[in-house]
Formats: sequence, structure tokens, C-alpha cells
Amino acid sequence: MEYKLELKEITKIYGEKKVLNNLNLNIVSGEFMVILGPSGEGKSTLLRSIVGIENIDSGKIMVNGEDVTNNPPNKRNIAMVFQNYALYPNMTVYKNIAFPLKMSKMPSEQIKEKVNKVSELLKITDVLDKNSTKLSGGQKQRVAIARALVREPKLFLLDEPLSNIDARTRYTSRQELKRLQKELNHTFVYVTHDQSEAANIADRVAVLHNGVIEQIGTYEEIYNKPETTWVGDFIGTYPMNFIDGSIYDYKDKKIGFRPSWVDESLNDFELEISLIEKIENNYFIHCNLGEKNIVIRSNKNYNIGEKIKVGLSKFNVYKDEKLESVIENKKEKASAD
Amino acid sequence: MKNKDTVSYIIAIILSIVFIYPLYVLILVTFEPVYLTFGRIYPFQLPIILTLSNLINSFHQVGLIVPVIRSVEVAMLVSIIAVLLSIPAGYGLQKLTSRVTNKIILLMFVVNMMPGVVVAIPISVYFIKLGLENSIFGIAFAQELVVLPLSVFIMLGGFRALPKDIENQAHVDGARLHSIFSKVLIPLVKVPILITFLIAWMTSWDEFTYAVIISPINPTFPVKLYDYVSRGEPFVASSFALLVTVPVVVLVIILQKYLKGEYLSGGLNGV
Repeated sequence: MEYKLELKEITKIYGEKKVLNNLNLNIVSGEFMVILGPSGEGKSTLLRSIVGIENIDSGKIMVNGEDVTNNPPNKRNIAMVFQNYALYPNMTVYKNIAFPLKMSKMPSEQIKEKVNKVSELLKITDVLDKNSTKLSGGQKQRVAIARALVREPKLFLLDEPLSNIDARTRYTSRQELKRLQKELNHTFVYVTHDQSEAANIADRVAVLHNGVIEQIGTYEEIYNKPETTWVGDFIGTYPMNFIDGSIYDYKDKKIGFRPSWVDESLNDFELEISLIEKIENNYFIHCNLGEKNIVIRSNKNYNIGEKIKVGLSKFNVYKDEKLESVIENKKEKASAD
Repeated sequence: MKNKDTVSYIIAIILSIVFIYPLYVLILVTFEPVYLTFGRIYPFQLPIILTLSNLINSFHQVGLIVPVIRSVEVAMLVSIIAVLLSIPAGYGLQKLTSRVTNKIILLMFVVNMMPGVVVAIPISVYFIKLGLENSIFGIAFAQELVVLPLSVFIMLGGFRALPKDIENQAHVDGARLHSIFSKVLIPLVKVPILITFLIAWMTSWDEFTYAVIISPINPTFPVKLYDYVSRGEPFVASSFALLVTVPVVVLVIILQKYLKGEYLSGGLNGV
């Protein structure tokens, strides 16, 4: 069953602010798409527009080539898991999961069968008779996912579903969600502000900033080749370092590099060490390059205040905050010069 | 810590006395012979001689029974109308931004800021034209003026206290508006509905001004009671008042666990 969701030039305005600004995004069947962005940048608004509980101010939402922009939520066959799970507090777990089926007027025999099947899949059979308010955070999340899955929707939207769970459960839930998606071959759109989640489970990541998708691709692509300096700054445990391009003869341009791209065997420029962080087996060294503060990764321990000479094994060149070229293997280039 | 507790207890006891004392006097007047009530010379109001004659007397007052039934009818009507109107009103107001909502709520209370008599007289003129004078519908509609603002305020609080996104979730799950209300929202606001009903009922039960102006010929219980008092039969009146107060007090005691303050303040979220 092929499924294709296209968002065409979607704009959503709250008061004076354009939360979504001519946003374009295509989602294809069977993929796990993560929408990543800082808090308050319209990620939830985007999901709510897709599912139909928020009206968009302009643009089109197309499903398999058909315009669904003005369809109400119950005509879209899209399921959504809200951030706080939104379980119906007046119902048991069973009734919660059965609710969407009941609304579609399915006979109760069939409902029972489906609810049992999905609750086995999510390992919640033993809490079916409990009231939904009496569950733990992890259980609530499973019930919410079960309720979304039971309708066999074409598209599955999740709004930061793991943000209310403790760290340990979050890690296992993440893996399970990924496994579930691959097993069922469903199309997932997952919103988060947590990069490690995105890196972990996404087939593709879309970075949302200022109401537009700044970049879309696998996490590795986005990490290694951020298309704008903003994305480089946002992605990664440490932001990408940006220094003046004149060090390598790129006048009026910026050079961007990750802490791990530093080659200590070269001596292209000099750094003064100001702070050292040890993370597992690596040292992350904060240094000053002139006025700029940059971070490099090393497996050697230095002293604070020490001056070291380093070069870059690879780097990206940015002109007017946009990626211009990717320079790999600087060593060979240097020797060829 | 201990001192603090003692002080709280003392304050609670004093407050209780202040509130219970009138009821105590009512009981006293009911069960004491009339001459003792008038001839009271001792400082503490302790009962010395008890009698049932006042009560038995009041039972013979058939004239009071019809107004009681009428009052019950009016109170029922008032509370049903209040619930039916305040549910959609509260739901709708909750959707607006709280700045707008709070202004509308304030506007609704404006009628209650004026003396009832000022409002009741022009209304009764219209009701006479419409044939609503001296009917329970007339009294009920007029009493909604007092009851509705508070009812809407309580229901607004109830809807605001609901978990965010519950309604959206029902939409996403494919529910239509009527199922969203009947299966999800109404079951979740049943306590505010109960409180609305109860407060509407009790407000109507002892409402006097609108009742006396709109329906002087077929009076409600408080109006009739006032007749008795002004005719110089306060003892019959008070005995009878005690009798009809008992069921109301019992009702409130049974329902008091639902009378939580949160629904009365919930309407003020985001002020």
C-alpha cells in the first residue's frame, strides 16, 4: 500500500508571527521521519496541521495526490499520539483503545479481537481493565500508541511521546518504537527536540527552524554537511565550530568543522586551551582562537593555558551562512599545493 | 505547632457557632411553647420545656403545602435550564482566550450587581404581556438571571480543568461532535454539572424578590412564608420552615464530597 503525504507551501500565522512559513515537506510510506527543532519553533503546530485539528492559513496538504486540506480529522485516517498521551480519564484501558473502533461503528466482536491483538503487541494485556489514570508513564505511552495503532492508520504522528518518561525507560521505548515501526511497516512522523532521539531512530530527519524545513536527510548527512551555519550550530552535542575562512585562503567565507575533524599532526593554526572536559575516552578541549571559542576532540590530555598547533583533516566552507563546498582530505590538498 | 492547632480549632469552633446558631434558634422556636419564646429571661438559650404543638399546628396549615410543591417545581425547572444552558456556554467560553472570556463573565454578572427589584419590575411587565405572570415558567425564567452567571462560571471552570488535548484526541479518533460530548466531555464534567444543579436548586429555593413580583397570586414557599410572618404567625411559619429545610440539608450532606472548591475557582485560570 503506497502512501505519500505532501505538504505544499504551508503557512500558519499566530497573531503577528508566522509559525510555519511556506513550508514544504514530503513523507513517503514506510519511513520513520523525525522532525527536529528547538522548542517553540512550530513542530507541534505542524503535526496538528497535518492531522487536521489546526487550520492552516495557506498551502495544501495532499495525500496520494488528493487534496485533504479542508477535510476534518475524522476523514483523514491519520492517528496521533499527543505529548501528554490524552488518555480518556473516564475510561478503562480497554475502552480507551476500543474508542476509535467504536467511533467507526465496528461490531464489538471485531473490536475485541483487534484490541486484544494490539495489546499483546504492546505488552499491556494485564492492564486492560485498569482505569487509565492509574498507569505509570511508560504504560500510558503504550496505551496511547496502542489506541493509535488499533485503527491501522495510514500515517502515524507522535508529538514528543518520550518526553514524560524517565531516562532509562526512554531509551528502551525508543528502540521498541523503531522495531514496531519496521515490523508493521507503518509511516511514522515523530516530533522531538532531542537530537539523540533523532539520531537513534530516524530514517530521515527534517530540521525545522523559523517555520521552514532548513535541511532534510539522514542524521549523518545533516551532522556532516549542515547546509546552513544555523543547522551546524544546532546539530551535535557540541555545535559546529565556525572560524574565519582566511586561515585556509577562503576570504569573506566561514570554515565550519566538527571537534573530531581536527588533526593534531598538522600545524596550520595555533590555539590556546581554556577548559578541558573528559567524556568517556575522549577529551573535549575548549580553546581560544583569537576572540573565537572553539571545541576540539583529542585523546591526549593537555594543560589549561597551553598553546597547541593543529590543522583540519576536513572542513565545510560557508558563504553567507550557506554551505558552499565540502573539503575532504585536506592533507593531500596541502601537500599538492 | 501545637499552639497553632489549638488556635485553628478555636477559630473553627467560633465560626461553626456563628453559622449554626440561627439554625439552633429555629429549632428552639419550633419545639418550645410560644410563651417561653416571648418570655425568655435567662441569658443562655437552653430549652427548658419541649413541645410538639407548634409542629402539629403547622401540619394543619394546608395553605403551605401547595407553595412548597410549587417551589420544588420552580427549583427543578431553574436547575435543569441552568445545566442545559451552562454546558454549551462553558464549553464555548473555554475556547476563547481568557482575556475575552473574563470580560464576558464580568458582563454576565452585571445584572446581579443591580438590586433585584429594579430588574424584576420591567421584566414582570413583559411577562404579563407574554402570559408568564403567576406561572412557574415565569418565576423560573426570572430566577435564571441570578442563577445563570454563576452556573456558567462553574461550568467554565469544569471545562478548563479538563486535560488538554482530550477533545483533540477524540477528534483524531474519528468522533463527531455529538459523540465527543456524550462519550468524552460530559462524563468528565459530571461533578461540575452536579454542583451547578445543586447551587441553582438552592438559589431558586429561597429566592424571594423575583418570585414575589412575578408571581404574587400563586406564591412560592419563601413568599408564602413571609405572608405568614407578616400576618403574625411566625411560630407556624418557622416550624414549617424547619420541616422543609431538613431534606435540603440532608441532600447537601450527601453531595458535599463533590462540593470541592476547585470548580469554583477553576473559572479564574489565566486571569
